[in-house]
Amino acid sequence: MRFLNIFLYEFYHFRKNRSKVITYLIFVFACVYSIYNGFSLQHKQTDTILHIQKEQNDELKKVIDWFEQGISGPKDRNWVDIKQPHWAFRYIPSYTIKEPSLLLPLGIGQAEQYAYYKEISNWSSTFDPDMMEEISNPERLVNGSIDFSFLIIFLLPILLIILTYNISGLEKDLKFEKLIAIQSTSLSKWILFRFLFYVILLLLTVLFLIFSVFIINQFQSDFYNSISNLIILSASYILLFSLIFYLIIIFSNSSSSIAFKMISIWLLFCVILPGGIHQYASMKYPTNYMTDFLDVNRKESYDVFKLPVDQLYDKLVNIYPDLNNTKHGMDSVIDNGIIRNTISAIINEMNKDVISKIEDQNNSKNEFIKSTYWFNPISYFLNEWNAITSTDYDSYYNFRQNIQSDIDTKMKLLVFDCWNQKKVNKSVYENYLKQLDVNYK
Amino acid sequence: MKNVIINELKGFFRSRLFILLAVFFSFALVVTTYLGIIHNKNLIKSQQEAKEHVREQWDEMGPSNPHRAAHFGSYAFKETTILNSIDEGVNSVTGNVLRLEGHKQNDVMFSEASQSLMISKLGKLKPSLLFQFLIPLFLIFLSFNSYSKERESGRLKLILIQGVSLRNLIFSKIFSIWIIGFVLLFLTVLVQFVFNSSELNTDTFIRLILLVLSYGFYYLIIINLSVAVSLLFKNSTSALSLTIVVWFMWSVFFPKIIGNTIEAMHPLPTRVEFQDSMSEDRKKGIDGHNPLDEVKKELEEATLAKYNVKSLSELPINFSGILMQADEEYGNKVWDKHFGDLYSQLQLQKQKYQISGFLSPFSSLQNLSMGLSGTDMYHHLDFLNQGEKYRRGFIKALNEKYTLTRRADAEFFKSIEDFDYQVPFLITFLWKYILDFFALFFWLISSFLMLNFLTKKNKS
Repeated sequence: MRFLNIFLYEFYHFRKNRSKVITYLIFVFACVYSIYNGFSLQHKQTDTILHIQKEQNDELKKVIDWFEQGISGPKDRNWVDIKQPHWAFRYIPSYTIKEPSLLLPLGIGQAEQYAYYKEISNWSSTFDPDMMEEISNPERLVNGSIDFSFLIIFLLPILLIILTYNISGLEKDLKFEKLIAIQSTSLSKWILFRFLFYVILLLLTVLFLIFSVFIINQFQSDFYNSISNLIILSASYILLFSLIFYLIIIFSNSSSSIAFKMISIWLLFCVILPGGIHQYASMKYPTNYMTDFLDVNRKESYDVFKLPVDQLYDKLVNIYPDLNNTKHGMDSVIDNGIIRNTISAIINEMNKDVISKIEDQNNSKNEFIKSTYWFNPISYFLNEWNAITSTDYDSYYNFRQNIQSDIDTKMKLLVFDCWNQKKVNKSVYENYLKQLDVNYK
Repeated sequence: MKNVIINELKGFFRSRLFILLAVFFSFALVVTTYLGIIHNKNLIKSQQEAKEHVREQWDEMGPSNPHRAAHFGSYAFKETTILNSIDEGVNSVTGNVLRLEGHKQNDVMFSEASQSLMISKLGKLKPSLLFQFLIPLFLIFLSFNSYSKERESGRLKLILIQGVSLRNLIFSKIFSIWIIGFVLLFLTVLVQFVFNSSELNTDTFIRLILLVLSYGFYYLIIINLSVAVSLLFKNSTSALSLTIVVWFMWSVFFPKIIGNTIEAMHPLPTRVEFQDSMSEDRKKGIDGHNPLDEVKKELEEATLAKYNVKSLSELPINFSGILMQADEEYGNKVWDKHFGDLYSQLQLQKQKYQISGFLSPFSSLQNLSMGLSGTDMYHHLDFLNQGEKYRRGFIKALNEKYTLTRRADAEFFKSIEDFDYQVPFLITFLWKYILDFFALFFWLISSFLMLNFLTKKNKS
């Protein structure tokens, strides 16, 4: 009962302390603003995706009309014949899309560093120039956005400092602490219960804000797990800092000493350690200029174009051994046209090889970053948080993998249908759309 | 005043905590500056290697079709400036490779930020991080109780009785703390001189001086504010908490919230919208590969008239080359219009952010730090503009050759010069930073006026 009184008294003290209440309200306002910001980004991405899908649909409608009317292609391009598979594939506007996560409002993460849609052509790769992030002001990107995860990970510990640095600090400054020890059985418990009030206040605030996004997203069951993971992660983070700050309060003897130590801990964990590791990682794994990738897309591609047709034939058969069973594969004469129309499959394989090396290099850097988590908890919490909101490096790596898989599907269909000398009509074209997972309404 | 400053400095050096922190900051600055220089040199080296590699491939091309060479294209690597070791500005979030080719203008690719998991939200441990976040905090801790401590301990009356005016005492305290901040700044410059002496030119030297001055002004503002709060509040703890809140709002909270608000006020187009509007304008022009284009006919007629022949086959030149170049020139106009609008919008956002310096001096400091280090958005846009200018000349040379012959010899390709990015002299952009300097001066003067007022108030 005595401790409940301490707890309730702290609420009274908090209510009466205008500066603490204002600071708390500023924090809540910033969180609401950050969630609004996240929703804006989510809507912007959704609108762009809808726009792309509409354009895609219009383009598909046009091509299907050509099939229905027996037209071979656009009026001003009389050399186009969409009955040929390689032309038909050129006129399939297909996209791989990374839908914005429903939890994006709770963590923008690295979402602004990557593209979230990619047009798949016969020559696409996962590091094409159109894999660029959205147009943004680079200086704004340096500062980052007011992001909910940023506020929880960076601002919340500061709020906790402001709310708690004078718990017992003030009493120690005024030499009251012995009086308190006499009045309550234990000074450390008295501090603990006062401290707990703020911990619970912050926990409830964060829970409320996370749930508000859940409610706005109309309780969609697909992210029950993500929401619970986010709650566990944010609670662990708050408790981690609370424990450190509580120990600081216990072992310090004035409010300025408490404030100084708390700020030092914040600086160490939130600024110095991540910054130092960031700098070290940049030195150990310097920026990749992707010269190998550039080579494949330039010199090596041109070298392939120069190869004699029989060598290109062999290369294609090496990639797809089943080509030997196709109409052209069983023919005794090599058709230069068919080979040239399917050469993009060779380039795709070359791209895949070099990209896998680049991804491996990036992966080594990520493994190094993960190996520092035990003494650099902030990066751990940041990346875990971003993983839950699907805005971390790995989410975009998976997106790139999906793109590659779509390119591979397209390539395989193109090569086999070209080699089988298939004639494309409306139903074959619609089958292509189905296999490429292109929605047409 | 001199004696009070010396006394204050002696007082600091008597404190073990101060010595510990001073040693920590000095060591951290020397190490981070040195590592920054090494990192920078490695970056410059790998850029040079990548550049040479790309050039080597170009030179190995041999006799070839010039139009094919335009598709083969080239790459421009964004060069790292020497002062990138102090403040890398936008370099980690923007790409560093620009593909230069015929028919289209690309954007820079492969940013460092997209190549790994997130590590830090406030940047790498470079001198700029220490200068902008840690040293101001250190100065706050040195100054937050500079007045209240004297008053609480009763030493204030003793000092005043000895004939030192309150104004002199306050300003001496401020300058003694400022000297410590300045020494830390100077240390970084010294490391730059020792390890980068061969790379330093007059322009870099002026940039360094202005950089140190900007940080010096900012530190003075921070100390003035901290001492003013110390004069205003009865106890040191309240003074400290208020100053830390202000520091946090200025350096962490405002830059983000102001950036977001400005982007909401002056939104940028999405990539799809931007490309759609460019394609729309591009469609109206000549498509080099489209024989039905009406504009092509006009150009064809004009060329036939110029050479006084009746058909393209009679032309002594290759008409395709003329057509390609006309298409390029139209494309350039489209690029100028759309990218011109985009860059204007970005610059408008930047100007608004600069104005926010009157709300938070940190914004001005950050702008100056990036700008003077040659790593801000203006320098980035300059790189893009220089890259595009080079691309136009490069493609024009290839198209002109294509007009004369369908197969150019290896010597022709070797004669085409590489893209060589020239980091603009500071004077080119200096006027753009005037607003930032003004904002810092505004804060500096305001903080001195506030101090003067509070000193007078405390005296009475």
